[in-house]
Amino acid sequence: MMIGLLGLFVKLSLFSLIAFGGVNALLPTLYDISVNQEKWIDADTFIHYFAIAQAAPGPNLLTVTLIGWNAFGLTGALLATLAVCWPSCILIFYLQRVLTNLRHIRWKKTIEYSAGALAVGLVLASAWQIAERINGNAMAYALTIFSIVFVLVSRKHPLYLIGLGALLGILGFV
Amino acid sequence: MEQKQWLSSQEFNAILGVCQLVPGPNIVNLAVCVGQRFGGGIRGAFAAVGGLMIAPMTVVILLALLYDHYGQFEQVQGMLRGISAVGVGLIAATGFKMLKEELSYYPMLIVIALSIVMATVFHLALGWVVTLTLPLALLFAWNKAK
Repeated sequence: MMIGLLGLFVKLSLFSLIAFGGVNALLPTLYDISVNQEKWIDADTFIHYFAIAQAAPGPNLLTVTLIGWNAFGLTGALLATLAVCWPSCILIFYLQRVLTNLRHIRWKKTIEYSAGALAVGLVLASAWQIAERINGNAMAYALTIFSIVFVLVSRKHPLYLIGLGALLGILGFV
Repeated sequence: MEQKQWLSSQEFNAILGVCQLVPGPNIVNLAVCVGQRFGGGIRGAFAAVGGLMIAPMTVVILLALLYDHYGQFEQVQGMLRGISAVGVGLIAATGFKMLKEELSYYPMLIVIALSIVMATVFHLALGWVVTLTLPLALLFAWNKAK
C-alpha cells in the first residue's frame, strides 16, 4: 500500500512536469499508467471516471483525483491530486516574477511561442489518443465530432453538450 | 477578481499568459500566481489553491460514491459513455481553438504536426515527444519572435 501510494505520487509528479497543455495533454499517459501498467482501474472505469470529472464542476484534473480515490481511497485522492499540482506550482511560484520582469522581449516571446506550440500539439494528440481508447462505436465518434463543431461555432455553454451526451447514452446509442 | 479589483484585466492577462507556459494544470498555476501576489507569498498561494480545489474535489468524490452504488446499471454506464464522447470533443475543441492562434506563423504548424504524428502514429511516450520537438519549437519560436 505504501509502495503503491509512493509509486502513484512519483509517476504523476514526473509526468505533470512535462505536460505542456495541462491535464488534457496528460490523459493518454494517465490511461496507460493506471489501466495498462499499474492496473489500478480497468478501461471501463477510466471512461466512467473521465465522464464524471468532465460533468462535475471544477478543473479537469479531477479525473486524476478519482483514479487516486479508486486505487487508495481518500489518501489516494488527495495524494494523486497533489502529485499533478505541486511540480508546476513550485515552478510557477518562482518563474512568474522572472518571466514578467524579463526585459529581453525576443527571449520572452520565444519561450511563449514554443510552449504554446508544444501545448497545441500535445492537446490535439491527446484528444486523438483518448478518442481511440474510449469511443466504442461510430455514434460515439459522431458525438465527439459534433461536440468539436458545436464548441467552435456556437457560443452556447458546453453543458448542453454534456446533457445531450448523457441522453444519447441513456437511450443506448453510444 | 472583478469584484474585488485586486488587479486590472491587463495584469490578469499577463499573469494568465505566464501560467499557460508552464506544464501542469493551468488553472492551478493561475491560482498560485494570483494567490502569491495578493495573499502575501506562499500562504496566499496555498489559500488560493485550496479554495479552488476543495469544493470540486468533495463534489467529485461524492459522485464517485454514487457511482459505486449505481455504476453497474446499463443506463448509467451508457450515460457516462455518452458524456465521455462529448468530453473528448471538448478537449479537441480546446486544441483547435489554440491552433487558430498558431496560424499566424506557418512553420510552427510543422512542430505541431510532428508532435501529433509522434504521439498518435508512432506511440512515443509524452517525455519523448516533448524532448524531440522542443529544439525545433524553440528554433521556430526564436524566428517567429523576430
